[in-house]
Amino acid sequence: MDKKKAVDDTEPGPAPSRPVDRFGFIKPEQGTSPDGISKSKSIHERERERDGRRIKKWRKMIGVGGSDWKHYVRRNPHVVKRRIRKGIPDCLRGLVWQLISGSRDLLLMNPGVYETLVIYETSASELEIIRDISRTFPSHIFFQQRHGPGQRSLYNVLKAYSVYDRDVGYVQGMGFLAGLLLLYMSEEDAFWLLVALLKGAVHAPMEGLYQAGLPLVQQYLYQFEKLVLEQMPQLGQHFIEEMINPSMYASQWFITVFSYSFPFHLTVRVWDVFLYEGIKVVFQVGLALLRFCHDELVKLPFEKLLHAFRNFPEEATDPDVLLPIAFTFKVSSRLEELEKEYQKKLEGSNASTSTKRSHPLKLKTMSRIGSRALSNFTNSEK
Amino acid sequence: MARRPAPWEQGGDEYDYLFKIVLIGDSGVGKSNLLSRFTRNSFSLDSKSTIGVEFATRTIQVEGKIVKAQIWDTAGQERYRAITSAYYRGAVGALLVYDVTKATTFENVKRWLKELRDHADSNIVVMLIGNKIDLKHLRSVSLEDATSFAEREGLSFVETSALDATNVDKAFQTVLTEIYRIISKKALAADEAGAGAGAVREGQSIQVSATDSSSFTSRCCSF
Repeated sequence: MDKKKAVDDTEPGPAPSRPVDRFGFIKPEQGTSPDGISKSKSIHERERERDGRRIKKWRKMIGVGGSDWKHYVRRNPHVVKRRIRKGIPDCLRGLVWQLISGSRDLLLMNPGVYETLVIYETSASELEIIRDISRTFPSHIFFQQRHGPGQRSLYNVLKAYSVYDRDVGYVQGMGFLAGLLLLYMSEEDAFWLLVALLKGAVHAPMEGLYQAGLPLVQQYLYQFEKLVLEQMPQLGQHFIEEMINPSMYASQWFITVFSYSFPFHLTVRVWDVFLYEGIKVVFQVGLALLRFCHDELVKLPFEKLLHAFRNFPEEATDPDVLLPIAFTFKVSSRLEELEKEYQKKLEGSNASTSTKRSHPLKLKTMSRIGSRALSNFTNSEK
Repeated sequence: MARRPAPWEQGGDEYDYLFKIVLIGDSGVGKSNLLSRFTRNSFSLDSKSTIGVEFATRTIQVEGKIVKAQIWDTAGQERYRAITSAYYRGAVGALLVYDVTKATTFENVKRWLKELRDHADSNIVVMLIGNKIDLKHLRSVSLEDATSFAEREGLSFVETSALDATNVDKAFQTVLTEIYRIISKKALAADEAGAGAGAVREGQSIQVSATDSSSFTSRCCSF
């Protein structure tokens, strides 16, 4: 039965009018979707109502095409932070994400660069990218059609990035970031947002998540393990006794910023905050998931724990429940300390130093990001 | 003798032996679907690429004993070895998968063997698996080439289709049986030597030889 259904799914050509949820994910015939999309209606209705009221406020805040945004943020940073934590209205998400991530500035500073990367460059990663295209958000209507516009855009963005930053190239997981962005903005916008994140336009650069050795993944997992022990000692101890290591459950949380296996309505809410406040929200949400399920988890043995990490209950992934818990964890300064501690440990063991630059680029230097893209492009004729 | 049950003995399921197995091989060869076919009898053509590691178990009978396989499915992309190679430690078996329709995935088998030599225990039982034989018209690695390669390298070998379930159970059964035979032979030898401390009692963690104590994966049998 399973097989038959799966085979039907691969028929090429435009997807028939199968029911999709409000984000465009194809609804499973019954039961809950693996992506957890077809959640109870109340969540969606609640959000839609709330959105209606918020859109007005938000439009005022950002001005036409984002013209008032910087001014507003400078004057009312706390209002902005509070509103973002409550969720950006879905219809404005794409624009606001570009404003808060600094990607809009990168785009404006680098006209034509994206096009050059896509059209004139070849990438050593092309085959690897192609292999994963149909394995990225396979249940989303936009990415379903083989060689359709969604898959082509995804390919272009990933290829362009792999040329733009040949150290990183293409790494599995990046597709989920790019795919998520493409649901809210054009290829070129998505590309520059990816650049803003990985090169650190506003926050610490995240390229270390994907560089050889995955140095930043290792660092984040180290920090996360310590935070669990400090914030939830009983659970942290239980994990140690059960020989649970955070790489067993949290690596994909960091590598894809919760876009891999969580309900989409949670993913976008996490991304709202992530783009404005930085990676710390991934730690906070991770801790909140564990806190929410704490009393269950402390009772579970090894195998059941691993199962639980991949099957959080629906209530736990409701953003209006989870995010308030997440924000109760004050982790910023502790994260900094733990980063230093980790770097020291690394130096002690004489390991690589590729996570060195952890401070965001200043806006001034952002134009260099673009020129670097161009020099990359001119230096390499493959 | 009363003792606190070890973590892996809780949870209601009972077994005589617990073997840790890793699934490795290039990206896109079908590791995750082999695992889901074996543990849940399911297959999905539109599955996502594996990020990091995934885990599943299944318990089967091997020569009258109940053997539980704890299987780690790993991301295939080279860059991920930074994370996944830690999972080789403590593993007593490895299923090394290639895609019979993609010659490069077969050519890379050598690199995966080296990866195992570098990171896994030297006694790990390795089984070579050529997956996707349902795609007959696309085959680009012949059965003969793979068979002779496996013979040269001393690996068990089988071709499978996770899609139509051909040989999937057989592959896992073969590797688990092979491990079981090695373990029970060693246990027997230890018994005969009269070394009480070395004797293996069923249901216990088996440490046939010293393993890396820093491994977080030492919960199951290790050579």
